[in-house]
Amino acid sequence: MKKWLTGIILFMLVFSLAACGQTEDKTTEEKEANKETKTEEVFKIGAIPDQNAAFLQTGMDAVAKQLSEETGMKVEFVPSVDYAALVTGFQRGEIHLAWFGGLTSVQARNLVPGAESIVQRPRDAEFKSVFITQEGSGITTLADLKGKSFTFGSESSTSGHLMPRYFLTEEGIDPNTDFNGKPNFSGSHDTTYKLIESGSFQAGALNISVWEAAVKEGKVDTNKVKVFYTTPDYYDYNWTINSNVEEVFGKDAKQKVKDSLLSMPGDSKEITDFFQTDKFIETKNDNYEKIEKVAKELEIIK
Amino acid sequence: MMKRIPSLQLHKRFILTVLLLAVFVWSLTSIHWNSELFHAGGIPTMLQIVEGLIQPNVEPRILLVGLESAWITLAYAVAGMSLAIIYAFIVGVLASGTLTSSNFSRFISKVFFRGILGFTRSIHELIWAWLFVAAVGLSPYAAILALAIPYGGILGRIFADMLNDVPKEPIIALKAAGSSRLQTLFYGYLPLVWADFISYTMYRFECAIRSSAIMSFVGLGGLGFQIQLALADLKYDAVWTFVFYLIALVILVDAWSHWVRMGLTNHKRIKGFGSGWMSVLFATLLVVGSWIYITIGENARLFELLSEKNMEYAKKFFGGLLGINQENPAFLDAESWALALRLTMETLEMSIMAIGFSTIVAFITVIPAARNIANGNLTLKKRWYNWPMFGLIRLLYIFSRSVPELVWAMMIIFIFKPGILPGALALALHNFGILGKLWAEVIEDMDPRPIRNLATAGASKIEIFFYGVLPIVLPRFLTYILYRWEVIMRTTIVVGFVGAGGLGMDFKLAMSYFDYTQITLLLLCYMILVLIADFASETTRKAVK
Repeated sequence: MKKWLTGIILFMLVFSLAACGQTEDKTTEEKEANKETKTEEVFKIGAIPDQNAAFLQTGMDAVAKQLSEETGMKVEFVPSVDYAALVTGFQRGEIHLAWFGGLTSVQARNLVPGAESIVQRPRDAEFKSVFITQEGSGITTLADLKGKSFTFGSESSTSGHLMPRYFLTEEGIDPNTDFNGKPNFSGSHDTTYKLIESGSFQAGALNISVWEAAVKEGKVDTNKVKVFYTTPDYYDYNWTINSNVEEVFGKDAKQKVKDSLLSMPGDSKEITDFFQTDKFIETKNDNYEKIEKVAKELEIIK
Repeated sequence: MMKRIPSLQLHKRFILTVLLLAVFVWSLTSIHWNSELFHAGGIPTMLQIVEGLIQPNVEPRILLVGLESAWITLAYAVAGMSLAIIYAFIVGVLASGTLTSSNFSRFISKVFFRGILGFTRSIHELIWAWLFVAAVGLSPYAAILALAIPYGGILGRIFADMLNDVPKEPIIALKAAGSSRLQTLFYGYLPLVWADFISYTMYRFECAIRSSAIMSFVGLGGLGFQIQLALADLKYDAVWTFVFYLIALVILVDAWSHWVRMGLTNHKRIKGFGSGWMSVLFATLLVVGSWIYITIGENARLFELLSEKNMEYAKKFFGGLLGINQENPAFLDAESWALALRLTMETLEMSIMAIGFSTIVAFITVIPAARNIANGNLTLKKRWYNWPMFGLIRLLYIFSRSVPELVWAMMIIFIFKPGILPGALALALHNFGILGKLWAEVIEDMDPRPIRNLATAGASKIEIFFYGVLPIVLPRFLTYILYRWEVIMRTTIVVGFVGAGGLGMDFKLAMSYFDYTQITLLLLCYMILVLIADFASETTRKAVK
C-alpha cells in the first residue's frame, strides 16, 4: 500500500517533468528553424464572433483559402469566443489580420499604434442598426422603449451596442435606468433576434446586415418580429492589419494582403454569403474618428 | 458527546440559527418580488430548454464533438491537478514548518507560506485563467496553471494541516535515532499522512473536472466551450448533450475516487494485482496521456510561456492593472469606489440568497436521500416508495452538482431578467446537490438508537425529524452551510460574468473595455468579500462547535 502511493507521486512528478523537458527541446529546435525560413510563419486571421459560429467558420475559412492562394502565405483562421479575446490576440501580435467592428477596430488600433484599417465593404461606410420588437408589442418609436425589457448584442459591438446606445441617449433614454431592469447583452446579433422572436425580450437592437440576411434566408419569422426604427449612417466593420505584418512576412506582405482583400469575393459563394457584399473598397483610420468620439462620450473608451 | 448538551451551547446554536435566518430574509428584501422578475418570454424559453433536456441532440457529429471535448476537459483537469500536487507538496511542507528547526523561523515560514496558500486559493480559477490569458495568451497552459494554482492552494493547506496533526511519538522516535529533517519528513511524516492526502486529492479531482469545463469561458477549449457555442446559437438540445457528457465525466471520476477512498480507508490489504495497483496504473496513464496530448496534440510549449514577448506583455498588463501612466486610476477615484461598493453589497446579498435557497431545497429533500432512512434501518419503517424516492433525489443531487454554476447561470439568464436573482438561483442550483449529499451522509453516520426509540414510541415522520434527527445533526448541518457559503462567495463573481449581476457583470464589462484600473478596483472589492466570508464563517463555525 505504501509503495503504491509513493508510486503515484513519483510517476506524476517524473512524467510531468519529463513532459516539460521534451517540449523545451522541441521549441528550441523549432525556434532555430523559424529563424532560417521566416515565410514559414502562419498568417493568422480572426473575426469578431458576432454571428453563428459555424457560419463564421465557413466564411472565414473561404477568406483564408483565397488569401493563401493569392499571397502564397500559409493562412489560418483562428476562432475566438468573444470580442475582447480577439482584440487581445491582435494586441499580442498573434492575429495578423482581423475583421473588426468599428469599436473593436478603434480599441485594437489604440492598443497597437501601427495597426491600420485597410479594407471595408461599401455598406460599412454607411452602416445602420435596426431596432426590433415583437409584433403587437405596441412599440413604434424609441421613446416607447421606456419601461420595456431590452437586449443589446455584445457589449463590444458597434452596431449591436455602441451606436444603438448612442441614438437611445440622443433620444433622452438612459439605457442603464430607463428600461425594465438592466439591459441584457446577448453576445451576438443572431442571438438578439432569436431572443426577441422567442419573446425572451420585448425589444432589441442589431446589425442591419445580419438582420437583412436573416430575413432573406427565412431564419427569422417576420410575422413575429418587426423593425420599428432604423438608425442614421455610421462607419462600421473593416479589415484591420497588424503593425508587425511587414516585419514578419516581408515588406510587400501588407500590400499583397490588401490587394487580395480588394479582389474579393471573386467567385467564392461562401465569402459573398458571409459578407453580404459583391465588392470591397479601401478605407482609412480617419473614417473611424466619429466612433471613437462616441465611445469616449459613452465612457466605453477612456 | 451528544448525551448532555450544556444549555448555554444549545442557546448559542439557537441564536445563531435565528441570526442566519434573519440575514437570509434581509437578503431577500433586496429584490422586488413580483411577476416582473421573469422576462415577458421567460416561461416559453424555459419550456424550450426543458424540451431540449428531454430530447437531447444525438446526431453522431455532435456526439463525436462531445467526446473530443470531454477528453480535452479531462486532460486539462489531469494536467492541472498534477501540477497542483507538486505545488501543494512543496509549499505545503514549507507551510507546515516541519523542515525548520528554531521556533522563530518555523513561525515565519508558517505565516509566509500559509499566506501564499491562502492567497492563491482565495481567487477563483476562472479569474486566474483570465489573468493568465491576458499575460501569456491563449495557450492550454493558461488553463492548466489557472487550475493548478487555486487547487494547489487548497491541497497545500490541507496537506500542511495534516502534517501538523500527525502523532508526535513516531517523529520523536525517528529524531532520536538520528535521522535528518528530510529523512524525518520522508520516513516519518509522509507515510502517516499519504492515505488521507490521496483521498482528499481524489475528492478535489472531481471538482477540477468541473472547473476545467468552465475554463472555456476565456476562450480555451473543452466541454464548456461547446456548451457556450450551442447556447449562443440557442440550440438547447445540443447544450444538454454536452451537459450530459460533463455529468457522465463527473460521475465516472466520482465513482473512481470513491473506489480509491474506500480502498484507502478500509486498510484491507488486497493481494496480488489489486485495485490499488490498477488505480496507480490508470492514474499514470491519465497523467502521461494528458501531458502528451497537450504538448504534442495541442502543440503547446511551456517554454514559450517565458518568452521575452510574453514577459513584455505581462509587464504591460500588470502595469495597466496598477494604473501606471494612467491619469485617473479607478481605484483612486471616490465615485468609482462608491459604485463598486454598491456592487459588492449586491454580491454579498446574492451569496446569502444562494446559500439560503440551497439550504431550503436540501432541507426538504435530505430525509428521503439518506440510505439508512430509505432502507428503514433508522425509523424501523419500510415503505415501497422509499427506494424510488432515494434514487430520484440522489439522481437530482448528482445532476445539480455536476453542472457548473456558470452553465446554470447561462441558461437561467434566458428566463429571468439580468440581476442578482438569476445569479443566486444558479449558485443555489449547483450547491443544493452538494449540500444535500453532505447532509445525507451526516444522517447516515448518526447514532440510530435515539431515533429508533422515538419511532417505537409512535412518533410520526415529521416528529421524528424535528425531535430526533434535527437536534443531533444540526451542528454539522450548520458547519456545512457556512462552509458552502464561503465557496459560493468565491464563485459569485463568476456567475456575474454572464450577466447575472453583482461584481462579475462589471468585471466582464471592464474586461471588454480594456479598463484595467477598474478591474483592479473590482478585484480588490472581491478580495475583501472573500476575506470577510472566510472570517465570518470561521468564527461562526467555532461558535457552533
